[in-house]
Amino acid sequence: MSRNLIILTVTAILLMIFQVLILKYFVIFGIGFCFLYLMFLLFLPLEIGFASAMIIGLIAGLIVDLFYNTLGIHAFACVLITFLRPYWMKWNKPRSGYEVNDLPMITNYGLGWFVIYALPLIFIHALTVFLIESGGNQLVGISILKSAVTALISLVFMIAIQYLFYSKAKR
Amino acid sequence: MGQLFSFLYKYRAFFTFLTLEVLCIWIIVRNNNYQRAAYFSVASGFVGNINERTNNISDYFSLKKVNSDLAEENARLRTLLLQLTETPLDSLKTFDIDTDTTDAVHYRLIAAEIVDNSIRLSHNFFKINKGSNDGIKTGMGVISQKGVVGKIRTVSKNYSSGISLLNSRNQVSAKLKNSNRTATIQWDGDGRNPRVAKLLYITREDNVQVGDTVVTSSFNAVYPKDIMIGTVASVKPDPNQRDLEIEVSLSVDFGTLAYVYVIENIYKEEEDSVSLNNPVDFNE
Repeated sequence: MSRNLIILTVTAILLMIFQVLILKYFVIFGIGFCFLYLMFLLFLPLEIGFASAMIIGLIAGLIVDLFYNTLGIHAFACVLITFLRPYWMKWNKPRSGYEVNDLPMITNYGLGWFVIYALPLIFIHALTVFLIESGGNQLVGISILKSAVTALISLVFMIAIQYLFYSKAKR
Repeated sequence: MGQLFSFLYKYRAFFTFLTLEVLCIWIIVRNNNYQRAAYFSVASGFVGNINERTNNISDYFSLKKVNSDLAEENARLRTLLLQLTETPLDSLKTFDIDTDTTDAVHYRLIAAEIVDNSIRLSHNFFKINKGSNDGIKTGMGVISQKGVVGKIRTVSKNYSSGISLLNSRNQVSAKLKNSNRTATIQWDGDGRNPRVAKLLYITREDNVQVGDTVVTSSFNAVYPKDIMIGTVASVKPDPNQRDLEIEVSLSVDFGTLAYVYVIENIYKEEEDSVSLNNPVDFNE
C-alpha cells in the first residue's frame, strides 16, 4: 500500500506540474486539448472512499483552474467524475475482480479494460468543462466535438505515459 | 429523526457530491464574468417571465381603474385640442411657427406596462415589459399620464428596469410653476411614505404656498419640461437652515401604477455632448 501511495503522490505532483506548465499551451486545431492530470484521479484505488476521492478531485481541479483562469470549472468537472467513477468501476469489473493492492491502471488490468474505464470519464469531464465554459446552450455541437477530440488525445497520452514509465511497476 | 439521519448516512456520498458541486458553482459564479453574465441573464429572464405571467392575471382586476385613468387622459387631451383650435382666432397673440419640421419632434413616447414595482423599500425600482428591441436605452425618462415616474437604468432584450422616483438616490430637477424657481426633488428614503417627496434648495426668501404646482424643469435631457411632479403639501421654515423644508405630495400614485410612457429625447446625445465638451475645471 505504501508503494502505491508513493506512486500516486509522485504521479500527482508530476502530472499537475506538467499540466499547468506545458500542456496548458497544447491545443490541436483549436479543438483538441489535453487533460492529462485526470490520470492520477483515475489511478485512485477503489478503497479510498467517496468523500476523500471527491475532495482530492476538488483540490486538483482548483489548482488547474488557477492556472487556466477558469476558477471552479475544472473543479466542478473533477468532482463530477470522481463521484461517477466508483459506480462505473463496479459496473466495468474485470473478469477476475479488483485486487485490493492494485491501482486501476494498464499494467494491472490490461489495455482494453483501461480504455473502457477511462474514455467515458474523460469525455464527461471534458464535456462538462466545455459546456460550462460556453455558458449556455448555443455551442453544444462544438462542445461535443471538442470534448470527443480532447478525450481521445488525453487517452492516447495516458496510454503512452503508462507504457513508458509504469511498465516496470509490475511485480 | 433517526430515519432522517440514516437516510442522510445511506446517501452520504451523494450529499457530499451535491455540497461540493454547489461550492464549485458558487466559485464559478463568483469569479468568472462570462459565466456570471450567463447565469444572471437566464435567472432574470426566468424571473421576468414569471412576473409577466402573474401580471397578466392581476391586470384584469385593475381594468376598471385603468379605464377611468385613460378616460381622464382622453378628456384632458380633448381640452387641449379645443384650446389649440381657439388660438388662431385670437389675433392679438403672436406665436411661433416651426418651419423646420424635424425640430418639431423633440420627444418620442413609447408605451409600456409595469411588470414589477416596489414602493416600500428605501431604494425602489420598477420593471417594464419593453426593452432594447423596442428602442429603449438606459437613461430615458419614464412618465405616466399623471407625472414623473423615474428613469431607465438597465435594459435587456424585452425588459428594462428603472430607478423609481421613490428612490433616495434619484434626484430630479424640478421647478415651481408659479415662480419658475428651480429646485431638486428627492424622495426621503427614511420616511418611506410613497406619496410624499422633498423639494430641496428653495431658500427662505421665496414665497411658497401650500398647493403650488411642482413640475420638471428644462435643466435636464431626460424629461421634457413642465411634466407634473406634484403639489406642495407643507412648507416649514427652519430657522437653523438656509433652505425651506418643503414636502411635495406626488401626483403619481405609485401603488396603482400600471401603464407608463418611456420618453426618448431625440436630441439627448447632442445635449449631453455640449455639457461634456464644457468641463468643470477649465483652465484658460
